[in-house]
Amino acid sequence: MSREVALRESYVMKKKTKLAVLGIGLVMPSFLTLLILVIYPVALAIMESFQNEEDAFSLENYQYIFTEPLILQSIQHTLVITFISCFLTLGLSYILAIYLNFSNSIFSKIINKLYFIPLFIPGVIAIYGFLNFYRDNGWVARIIGEGNMPSIIYDMKGLLMINVWFNIPFTTMLLLSALQAIPRSVIESAKDTGASKLRLFIHFIFPLSYKTMLVALTFLFMGLIGSFTAPFLIDRNAPQMLGVSMQQHFSVYNEIGQSSALAVFMFVLCSIVGYVYIQNNMKKSKKDLF
Amino acid sequence: MRKSKSLKRMLTGTILAVSTFSLVACNSSETNSAASGGDDVTKISLYSSGSQNVETFWETVIPKFEEAHKDIDVDFVFVPSGTGGQATIDRIVAAKKANKDSEIDVYEGALADIIRSEDEGGLFYELSTDSIENLENVQEENLEGTQNLAVPYRASSVVLAYNSDKVKDVPNTAEELNTWIEKNPGRFAYNDPNTGGAGSSFVLSTVYNELDDNAMNVQDESIIKEWDKGIQILKDMAPNLYKEGVYPKKNQGTLDLLANGEVDMVPAWSDMALEQINSKLLPDTTELKQIDPAFTGGPAYLMAVDNGDEKRREATETFLDYVLTQDVQKLVIDTMYGYPGIKWDLLSAEDQKKFEAVSGGYRTFNGGDLSSELMKVWQKEVASQ
Repeated sequence: MSREVALRESYVMKKKTKLAVLGIGLVMPSFLTLLILVIYPVALAIMESFQNEEDAFSLENYQYIFTEPLILQSIQHTLVITFISCFLTLGLSYILAIYLNFSNSIFSKIINKLYFIPLFIPGVIAIYGFLNFYRDNGWVARIIGEGNMPSIIYDMKGLLMINVWFNIPFTTMLLLSALQAIPRSVIESAKDTGASKLRLFIHFIFPLSYKTMLVALTFLFMGLIGSFTAPFLIDRNAPQMLGVSMQQHFSVYNEIGQSSALAVFMFVLCSIVGYVYIQNNMKKSKKDLF
Repeated sequence: MRKSKSLKRMLTGTILAVSTFSLVACNSSETNSAASGGDDVTKISLYSSGSQNVETFWETVIPKFEEAHKDIDVDFVFVPSGTGGQATIDRIVAAKKANKDSEIDVYEGALADIIRSEDEGGLFYELSTDSIENLENVQEENLEGTQNLAVPYRASSVVLAYNSDKVKDVPNTAEELNTWIEKNPGRFAYNDPNTGGAGSSFVLSTVYNELDDNAMNVQDESIIKEWDKGIQILKDMAPNLYKEGVYPKKNQGTLDLLANGEVDMVPAWSDMALEQINSKLLPDTTELKQIDPAFTGGPAYLMAVDNGDEKRREATETFLDYVLTQDVQKLVIDTMYGYPGIKWDLLSAEDQKKFEAVSGGYRTFNGGDLSSELMKVWQKEVASQ
C-alpha cells in the first residue's frame, strides 16, 4: 500500500514538473521578446541617463532637468495640462455615460452609435482638421466673423480641447460598461422605496462606478503626459510639454543623456499613478477571492 | 564605457542594415530581372536622406541611369529626414574602423560629413576630372571646401516668400526687413528653428549679421559670447511677430500661414516654396526674394565611399558623372525646384530666368555643432521670454 502511495506520488510529481516545464516553455518566447525589445532598451536608457558626456557615472543630467528653469517650467506646464485634461475628460465622459446609460430617447441612441468615431480617425489627420477648423481665419472664424474668434491654436485652450476630443470616446466606453454592470434591480428597488435621483446617484451609482473612474484616470494620465503630436503642432513654443522637450533634446541638440533623464522622470511619474491602479485592482481581486 | 557606445552604434547599424535589407529585398525583384541580361553587372548602393522631393528625384534618375548603363545596378536606400540619417554616416565610420565593407557606395550628405571623414582618417574617395569629366561643369564656389571629396550636385537656400498683393515695399536688406516687421505687426512669422531649416536659417542669419563676415566659418565655442546682440534683436522682434511671438512648427507651418493669408511674409526654402507655388499650394501672388546679406543655404553633396572595391568605385564614378549631366540637372530644376549643381550659363535661357528672383545666392554656415547650440539659446532666451 505504501508502495502504491509512493508510486502515485512520484507520478503526480512527475506530472507536476512536466507541467511546470511546459508552463515555462510556453512563457519563454514572450518573455524573451519582452527582454530584448522592452527591458534591454529601457535598461540602456536608464543607464544613459546616469552618464555624462565622457560616459562616466554622474548625476549631471538629473541636475540639469531639475535646475534648468526652462525644464522646470515645462514640467509644470505638462502637469497642469495633464491634470486639467484628465478632469475635463473624466467629467464630460461621466456625464455622457450616465446620459447614455439611463436615457432611452432616440437622441441618446444616436449618440450611442456615434460617440466613438474619434477613435477611428488617425491622430495627425484629426489635428490638421482641428487646425483648419479653429485657426484664426479657419472655418469657425469665417462663420462667426474673424474679429470674434479667440486664440485657440498655438494656445493652451486648443491643446486642452483636442486632448478632450481624443480621449472622450475611450473613457466613455469604459465608464459606460461600468454603469451597465450595475444591476437594474438595485436601482429599481431604490426607486420604489422613494429615493430621489440625487440620492440614487450619491448612494448607488457613484459608489458602484468610481473604481472604473480611477482606472480611466490612470489610462488618461499616462496617455496624456507622454503625448507628442498634439502638443507639438498645437501648443506654444515655450514652455513645452515634456514629450516635445524630450524630442528636442534628443534629435535637435543630440543630448541623449538629458532626454533619457527626462524619460526616466516621466516613467517615475507614470509608475506612481500605475501603483495606485495596481493597488486598486489588487483590493478588488482580493474581494473576489474571499 | 566607450565600448558600450560603439556597441550601441553597431546595434543600431545592424537594425538599420536589417531593415534596409528588407527594403532592398522588396525592391530588388524588379531591378534584378531588368539587369539579368548582362553577365557582368556591378551593384552599387545609394544612401540618401531628405524630404519627399529628394526621394522622388532619385526614383526618377536611377531607372534612367540603369537604362543608359546596363552593366550597373543601383540600389536606392532612402532614410527620410528626422528618422536617423545620422545612422548612415555612423555605419560608414563603424565599417571603416572594423576594416569592413560598409556596403554603401554613394552617400548623400552635408559638408559636416567631410569634416567627420577627415577626423576618421578618410572615408571617401578623392574625386577628379579624370574619372568624372562633368566635374568641370560644377560651380566653383560650391566645390570650395569639399576638398575634392564630394560632388555638390544641387543646392537650395532660404529666401523670403511674400504675398505680393499685400507687400508693396519689399525689403532688400536684413535691416529693411527688421523695419518692415516693426511697421507691420503680426504679419511676419518664422518657424520654430528647432523644427525646420527655414527658421533656423533666419535665426542664424539674424545673429550672425551682427558679427564679422567670417564668423560663420568659426567653429570655436568662444563665439557664443558674441551672440547676445543678435539674440536681443530676436527678442525685441517677438512682439511684432505672428500672434506676438508664436513660432509655427516645421517649415510647412509658416508656409501654411502664408497660404491662408494669416501672415504676409515668411522665410522659406527656395525649392519648397517654388514647388508649392507651382502646384498651387501657395497662391499665385506668392513671390520669392533673397535679401542682402543673404540667408543661409547650401549644396547637397554626393560622396563616393571608400570600400576598397575597384569595380564598384568605377561604377560609382560613372554614376556621379551621370548626375552632373545636363539632363539630370534639368530634372533637379524641374522636379525638385532646386538650384542646379552645374554652372548656370550651361542652362537654357528659360531655366536661367526661373531662378532670377532667388539668384542672389546664399551664405553657408560652417559652424558645425554651434548651430544646435544656438537653437538651445534661442529656446531659452527667445521662445520662453
